[in-house]
Amino acid sequence: MAERRLSASAALAEALREEMTRDETIFILGEDLVSHSGIFGQFKGIPENFPGRIIDAPISETCVAGCGVGAGLTGMRPLVDFHFSDFVTCAMDELCNQAAKIRYMFGGQVKLPLVVWCPDGAGLRAAAQHSQSLEAWFVHTPGLKVVVPSEPADVKGLIKSSLRDDDPVMFFQHKRLFAKEGPVPEDADFIIPLGQAAIKRPGADLTFLTYGSGYHLCLQAAEELAAQDILAEIVDLRTLKPLDMETVAHSIQNTNRAVVVHEACVTGGFGAELAARIQVELFDYLDAPVLRVGAKDVPIPFSPVLEDYVLPSVAEVIEAARAVTYR
Amino acid sequence: MTLDREELLRMYRTMVCVRQFETLAGEYFAAGKIPGFIHLSIGQEASSVGVCSALRSDDFLTTTHRGHGHLIAKGADLDRMVAELLGKRTGYCKGKGGSMHIADFALGILGANGVVAGGLPLAVGAGLSIKLRKTDQVVVSFFGDGASNRGPVHEAMNMAGIWRLPVIFCVENNGYASTTPVARACSVPDLALRAAGYGMPGVTVDGNDVLAVREAADQAVARARAGQGPTFLENKTYRIRGHFEGDPQKYREEAEVQAWRDKNDPLQRFAAVLRKGNVLTQDLQQGIWDEVEAQIGQALAFAEQSPYPEPKEALEDLLVNP
Amino acid sequence: MAIEIIVPKLGLTMEEAVLVSWSFAPGDKVAKDQTVLVLETDKVSYELPSPGDGLLHPLVAPGATVKVSQVVGYLAGDQAELATLRAEPPAAETDKAQPAAAALDSRASKDRRTPSPASADLAPKRIKASPLARAMAAKEGLDLASIVGSGPAGRIVKADILRALAGVQPAVATAGAGADSPTLTPTQEIPITGIRKAIFQNMHHSLSSQAQLTLHTEASAANLVRLRRKLNQRQGKDATKVSFNALIVKAAALALRLHPLINASVEGEALKVWRQINIGVAMDLGNGLVVPKLRHPDQKGVRAISQEILVLAERAQAKKLTLADLAGGTFTVTNLGAWDIDYFTPIVNSPESAILGVGRIVEKMVPVNGQGVAEPRLSLSLTIDHRVIDGAPGAAFLKTVKEFIEEPLLMLE
Repeated sequence: MAERRLSASAALAEALREEMTRDETIFILGEDLVSHSGIFGQFKGIPENFPGRIIDAPISETCVAGCGVGAGLTGMRPLVDFHFSDFVTCAMDELCNQAAKIRYMFGGQVKLPLVVWCPDGAGLRAAAQHSQSLEAWFVHTPGLKVVVPSEPADVKGLIKSSLRDDDPVMFFQHKRLFAKEGPVPEDADFIIPLGQAAIKRPGADLTFLTYGSGYHLCLQAAEELAAQDILAEIVDLRTLKPLDMETVAHSIQNTNRAVVVHEACVTGGFGAELAARIQVELFDYLDAPVLRVGAKDVPIPFSPVLEDYVLPSVAEVIEAARAVTYR
Repeated sequence: MTLDREELLRMYRTMVCVRQFETLAGEYFAAGKIPGFIHLSIGQEASSVGVCSALRSDDFLTTTHRGHGHLIAKGADLDRMVAELLGKRTGYCKGKGGSMHIADFALGILGANGVVAGGLPLAVGAGLSIKLRKTDQVVVSFFGDGASNRGPVHEAMNMAGIWRLPVIFCVENNGYASTTPVARACSVPDLALRAAGYGMPGVTVDGNDVLAVREAADQAVARARAGQGPTFLENKTYRIRGHFEGDPQKYREEAEVQAWRDKNDPLQRFAAVLRKGNVLTQDLQQGIWDEVEAQIGQALAFAEQSPYPEPKEALEDLLVNP
Repeated sequence: MAIEIIVPKLGLTMEEAVLVSWSFAPGDKVAKDQTVLVLETDKVSYELPSPGDGLLHPLVAPGATVKVSQVVGYLAGDQAELATLRAEPPAAETDKAQPAAAALDSRASKDRRTPSPASADLAPKRIKASPLARAMAAKEGLDLASIVGSGPAGRIVKADILRALAGVQPAVATAGAGADSPTLTPTQEIPITGIRKAIFQNMHHSLSSQAQLTLHTEASAANLVRLRRKLNQRQGKDATKVSFNALIVKAAALALRLHPLINASVEGEALKVWRQINIGVAMDLGNGLVVPKLRHPDQKGVRAISQEILVLAERAQAKKLTLADLAGGTFTVTNLGAWDIDYFTPIVNSPESAILGVGRIVEKMVPVNGQGVAEPRLSLSLTIDHRVIDGAPGAAFLKTVKEFIEEPLLMLE
């Protein structure tokens, strides 16, 4: 049987339709969702099939996020759409002071099922306030889970897990990858557990640790490196919190070298956390320092020449790979 | 709407309970037995009891840093409350919350909130949840005159207004936002005037008259249960204690506080009404005070005898599925 | 009371030195004025005479950089005092420069008769190796010191361990960058210290502070060769042979007398023309370039000069040149003839103002009465500091040197 291929948007919509059919407490709340089925078409088929369960809110990110928290605390399973991940700044109190802390500060009395769905990432010439990759902010906030899928099948498997989870999940999906197609299982019970990384390409010489759009950079770099006889293993982390350190360790124990690749700017990025853990937990397996490849430490600029310069490139990934393999 | 004798006495008793709880909390804080800082609601008992007595146990509530009274009025367990103030394992939050973060989800109390105006968006979410689940519950969100100027209040009231959610926005206008008099921070004399901007009724009542508050609350609750949408209820009251215990209160004259305490004490006012209506006698009143004192004494004993959590319990209760 | 062993200040500019070796093992008895340790500064090696009698308690491992006035060890009066010193190293007087002191001590107490206290494994030099390489080496019992690292800055990496296990020495071609790689990787990293650092700084300072101009000429060496042969035939076999270098030094010295402005140095805003003529002879005998000085060769015979050059060369080879041997030069002669060099552009030994480069003596055909005649010829290169010596006076000096070489009898004048 031929593999069925779907875009990341279609995979998301399919997963949501399946989950909303399965669980009546799931609803979607956000801005400008109904008329276009989401500004990226990510909720295709939902307004027709689930009237009243996909709700257009006024432009009120603060209250939309808070609403998700309040509904999640009172028996619903909300998915809050953030339009552009950049706007999480308008709801940092609701996400970081409320959602992340409620279960803990009330002594575990309550669960908070809530998915905060954030289209993120650069490359659309959308400039500084519509292009960010902000996952590290939330990794740094205890009480939140952070998911960053890279391929359509991951989108389907992980959004389903997130909706079934009883803790708040920040779900980041790259805008430039919505249209990218990949094989997606038709099974309505296909789920990928949170906290499970995948070795998507085996290799013996070094490990790329990546997620989201970084995965596609690594894939391309790995192809080119293979031609130079450098075999890169790609670990797609998929979930940053909880982190599948076991798979990371397994890979590095085999390759002895690691490069972290993400689109977010390098300083204070998730790569810093990974590099720190690797040096503590895998010190004696390392044959080279862990390198990081990410965006330069500036806001994302508008002009294509500027934006392309700031974002991490395949060439930089290759260069890092050669550096850690001493070749 | 008329309230029967038992209900009136229950309300009075609850007000006494709030007063005694807060008084003892202040003493315990001064004695160094309560860590951190606490905000007391002495003088505002008519607001908390007047509103919460209009609610069912399955209705929802969000409250503020000054929330002890709301919690007690909604039926919270005194033992667990005091234990939480002392940071004990038997507290509502196992010592992780403290005075500003007490919740009882079984009673619909979605939590006191340390962020000013933090509870309103959550209350709207609960209201949306009620609407989606098609129940007749209501939500009350308490906030202060200071919070009324924050952005989330605008977003929350607008959203509740457009979706006609069963939310009662109850501002307790106690005269001061921390140190700032309400006249210097709010653009209108009566905050309820703002309700018109969100398509909901706005009601300003004498917040130290528990029966007036109760009547307004009953009407707001009835509207909400009937699917007629939110109400903005302003209880004008006065904070007798400082913003926090230990507040030097340089922003107001002692005479002003004294005047409210002597002439406008909600407990005295309600007792006078009850005595006049022959609901309350001197003996009965004394009996209530003694009974409450015993109950709170019991709660204090429970809390003091309770163990502190083990330090490593700090790592528990973060996630359902870590 | 234990006697302190203190690093002396050897020369005005000295701030630090490398403690090359201890001459005794820890605990050994050392007598006053015996050489107790060897220091190497950027200029000289120095054998420190023991400041007294006692049992040696070193605080600093060989190879460490030490500062002037630093206490590097003690001489204990007796075994009890030695034991006290070992138990309580005087922390206030040790400094960060000696991380290996404790290790040295513990080793010494295990084996007091350690034959060579300067053994290499006591050196504080850190071996760079990746954590994995360290773990592999430990597991396989490999000594990291025996492995050459191919990683950045000489880091020993997994590949180096695998090569070592396979018994393969890292070849230049395989170490580090592959043949098609644009990345340069060193096979070894040589620290620029000691004499190399001095040369490094002096050369750079000379070229960056002076305006150097080099003049070339060629002289007939026929008479010089004949003279040297005769001089060396006149004496018995045991006598010191007269060297070409000595003859050339003599010629230069006498020429300097006639051209005093060449025998000068810029100091501050003035050109100081020296009364003395002290000519340095550049020599590289395997321990780096050194330029010991010949005092007043203008007043000495060529055999005496030859003898002096030999003595200085022996000291240089033994790294035993003294500060006096190196100080006070006014002009330098450098000879690359032995390597078949004809002309070159020597760099002035600043703050001197000129240097004479001597090339090889080689037979060339020269026209004599229209006929080609074979004649030994000597190439000469003179570099002058053009800031103070113009081309013409420089050329005039060189011409005088040439005349003396072509007709050594002129030096009698």
